[in-house]
Amino acid sequence: MTGLFCFFLCWAGPAAMPTATMHIELPKLDVSPYFRPYVAIWLESPDRQGVHTIEVWYEEDTWLKDMRQWWRKLGRADSARYDGVTGATRKAGTHRITWDGRDADGKAVPPGDYFLNFEAAREEGGREFMRQKITIGGASQHYQLEGKNELGKIQIHIHGAKS
Amino acid sequence: MNLVSRMSLLFLALTTCVGFAHDRFIVPSHTILSGEKTKSVSLTASISNDVFHPDRPLGDNGKGWVPPSLKAYFDRMETTVILPDGSKDPSFALQSFRRFSAGDLELKQDGTYRISLVHDEAPMVTFTKADGSFGRAFGKEARVPEGATKVVRKTTASRVETFVTRNNANRAAIQPTGHLLELAGSAHPNDLFVGEAVSFQLFHAGKPLAKPAEVVLVRGGTRHRNQRDKIEATTDATGTFEVVFPEAGFYLLQTEVMVPGRPGSGMQEHWYSLFVTLEVFPM
Repeated sequence: MTGLFCFFLCWAGPAAMPTATMHIELPKLDVSPYFRPYVAIWLESPDRQGVHTIEVWYEEDTWLKDMRQWWRKLGRADSARYDGVTGATRKAGTHRITWDGRDADGKAVPPGDYFLNFEAAREEGGREFMRQKITIGGASQHYQLEGKNELGKIQIHIHGAKS
Repeated sequence: MNLVSRMSLLFLALTTCVGFAHDRFIVPSHTILSGEKTKSVSLTASISNDVFHPDRPLGDNGKGWVPPSLKAYFDRMETTVILPDGSKDPSFALQSFRRFSAGDLELKQDGTYRISLVHDEAPMVTFTKADGSFGRAFGKEARVPEGATKVVRKTTASRVETFVTRNNANRAAIQPTGHLLELAGSAHPNDLFVGEAVSFQLFHAGKPLAKPAEVVLVRGGTRHRNQRDKIEATTDATGTFEVVFPEAGFYLLQTEVMVPGRPGSGMQEHWYSLFVTLEVFPM
C-alpha cells in the first residue's frame, strides 16, 4: 500500500511536487475562553519585502491587523492578493500545509534566499511570530522551529530543485 | 490675582519657549485598522506634562466644558484632518471635558489619516521686569512695563498631531503641507516596530530643516515610572534623524525650532513647536 502511494507521488512527477511542505502545530491550551488563533504563513525577501501569502486562517477581517507582521508586509496592501489562500481558523493540533512555489499570479517564485514567516494571534490570548531563512531552487532542506506560546512545533521541508 | 496676570500665567504654561514648555498631545484609540467596513477611532487630546495621562483639555466644539483660562487658546486652535486622498475632513472636532478633550473620527477611506491641532503664529513679548523677575505679555501691541529690560518680541506656533491608517498605508496625508514645523521622512508613522531603525525628517515652512534641532521621544506612562527615559536625537543638515524604538507603546515626539525675525519686522524670534503621537508595536 505504501509502495503504491509512493508510486502515485512519483508518477505525478517533479512538476507537481510542492516546493514546501510544512507541519504546523497549534498548541492545545487549557484556557477559558479559548478562541482559535488567527494564523498567517508567508514568504519575504531577505530585506523584509513581502513576497507571497501562503496561508491565512481567520474569521473576521477587523482582527487581521493583529497578525501585525503579516499585516504590514502583505495583508494591508491588497486583499485580492491573499483571497485565494484564506480559510477558517483551525483547531489545536498539527496541520499539514503545502506550497507549490507559485505566487498569487501563478508565477514561480524565483530561486534564491527567502524568509518563511509564521504568525499566530489569539483573541484574549497572545501572539507569536517566527521566521526561518530558506533557499528556493537549491538543495532540499529541513528545519524545525519550536514555538513557545501560540505556535507549537513547526516542521519545514523545502524540496530541492531536482527531486 | 487680576485677569492680566492670570492670562500671563496661562500663557506661561502654554507657550513653548525653552524652559516653559507644557506637553500637549492627541492620542488615537487605534492607529492601525483592518477590514472592509467603515471604522471609527476615538481620540483624546490634553495639555499635560505626564505623557498620555491627561491633565487639562485641549480643544472644544462649543458643546463641552471649557476652563475660562483656556477659552482664548481653544478659540485660536484649528483642528484639521487630512484624509488619505489628501483632501480635508472639516467634520472632526473635539469636545472639552475637565481633564481632556475627546472626539470620534470615522474612517471611510482606506489609507493614512493625519489629525492636527494647530496654533498659528501668535505674537508675544518677554522681558525682565525692573525688580528682576521674568515677565511676558501677549499680542502684537503688548505693553512692556516701565523699566523692563531684555525685551524680546516673538511669535509662537505649534502643531499637535497623530496618524491613523485603515488598511493600506499611503503617503498623501503625511506629506509636509508647508505650514509651520512638520514631521515627514522615509518612515511611515503607522509602520513602527521595536528594534527597527527608522528615519524621519523635519520640515519647516515646507523645506527640510537645515539647522540642527533636538528631538525628544518619551514613551507614554510617565506617571507610573520614576524616569522619563527620553530618547534624544539631533537632526542633520537635511532635518533628518534616525530612531530605534527600544520598547512598544505610544510615544510622544517633541521638538521646537527658533527662526530669527527679519530685521525691521519688529519680531526678533519666531518659535515653532511640534508634538506628534506615534504608536510602536512589538515584533
